Amino acid sequence: MDVSNILASHAAKYPSTVVEKDTPLVLDPGYLTVTDLNPIDEDSYKANLEEYLQSTARDGIQALLASLFALPTHPSPDGPLAQLPPPITALPRAKPLPKPKQPTKWERFAAAKGIQKKVREKKVWDEERQEWVNRWGRDGKNKEKEEQWITEVKANADVDFDPVKAARDERKSRVAKNERQRLQNAARSQTAHADREERKKDIEKTLAATRVSTASMGKFDKKLEGEKKLRGVKRKFEPTEISITKEKEASLAILSKLDGETRRSKREKGEDDTLNVRKAIRTASRGRGGVALGRESSGRGRGGKRGGKR
Amino acid sequence: MRPLTEDESKSVFTKLANYIGKNLIHLIDRKDEPYCFRLQKDRVYYVSESSMRLSISVARPNLVSLGTCFGKFSKSGKFKLHITALEFIAQYAKYKIWIKPNGEMPFLYGNHVVKAHLGRITEDTPEHQGVIVFSMNDVPLGFGVTARSTVDTRKLDPTAIIVFHQADVGEYLRDEETLF
Repeated sequence: MDVSNILASHAAKYPSTVVEKDTPLVLDPGYLTVTDLNPIDEDSYKANLEEYLQSTARDGIQALLASLFALPTHPSPDGPLAQLPPPITALPRAKPLPKPKQPTKWERFAAAKGIQKKVREKKVWDEERQEWVNRWGRDGKNKEKEEQWITEVKANADVDFDPVKAARDERKSRVAKNERQRLQNAARSQTAHADREERKKDIEKTLAATRVSTASMGKFDKKLEGEKKLRGVKRKFEPTEISITKEKEASLAILSKLDGETRRSKREKGEDDTLNVRKAIRTASRGRGGVALGRESSGRGRGGKRGGKR
Repeated sequence: MRPLTEDESKSVFTKLANYIGKNLIHLIDRKDEPYCFRLQKDRVYYVSESSMRLSISVARPNLVSLGTCFGKFSKSGKFKLHITALEFIAQYAKYKIWIKPNGEMPFLYGNHVVKAHLGRITEDTPEHQGVIVFSMNDVPLGFGVTARSTVDTRKLDPTAIIVFHQADVGEYLRDEETLF
């Protein structure tokens, strides 16, 4: 029986499951993504946009589904499950890169001195017990002196000298010191360098103000150890020998500023340079002055009024 | 010796502008030779650049004077113009008064100018304006401040003061020790 006819008609009815393109599709099953890098066929794109888009989308989905079914599966109560491979597309970060951690004071010192970081083993060899013991922590080597059953004491030690307590105190103070330094490093990394300088200057300014803010202006205050003498701001003058042209420019600038000030004050007073008021009055009154002019005009005005009443 | 600070220049310039107005630019921006203002022991000197540069080599306590003394700063920071500045402000004066020969001697002894001695005056001189006092043959004698405006002087009696004395050339003799 020849089924090739049926198969051919079936194949014609349904598009092929094998997608073949000029540029192969980029598949990323990890993100369930297909990227079609082929150039758009302009003719079919313009002829029927919807059909063209659907056909390209179909090809892409077909290729993706084919790749998904090619993945190895393992059975589960809900049916076979496939593990998606890790994605290959590099996506940009959603968040900015974390800022580099501020180096601690020791790290900065070590970098300046060229000291290499050495990783200390957590365990150390105990010669007496012939085994590896913790450097610190449970049964730590650092607690050896506190836990030994007999301790050597110097001949000149106090009567109430407790060697166990002394050793423990020393260890605890080392821990406290480390904690203090850790906190200081954390505080230092919190604020930027410029901020710190500014705050330092602010604090110094406030301190200087408070030091002279007593009844005696700080004269009879108790001096703290290591306290520096207060210094005021020194006057600063231009050097005697500066470029004469620069000096001239500076004085002309001052002059123009002064000129502006006088003009402004005149304007506020209502004076104006364009009209010489005194001269105008003299001309208008024919040399008899402003008083005479005022009298003349008011007299005329009164006369006119009287005339009106009559 | 040092250049003036901005505040100092301001007070010097306002005082000078009271007498010569905008002609002050001619003092600062001179055509012939660059000049500058220098402060030495509260005194302000108007000095050419070349002699200023020469005087740099003199130590501050040893430097008595240089150029022309224009005036001095009082302890409260006010600037007082000296008679020595007359030479420069007389040539650029905005307002002038001329006094009669019989009024010259009283003015040179440090008295105010009364109306009887007034020869001529620049017209439209306002009240309280810095003026330069000249003799009738145009010799500058000193400077002062007007008590009344030109118009108001007409009505005054002959003994009324019209210019308050500020400085006169008689000070060259009277204040010889402290002037320069």
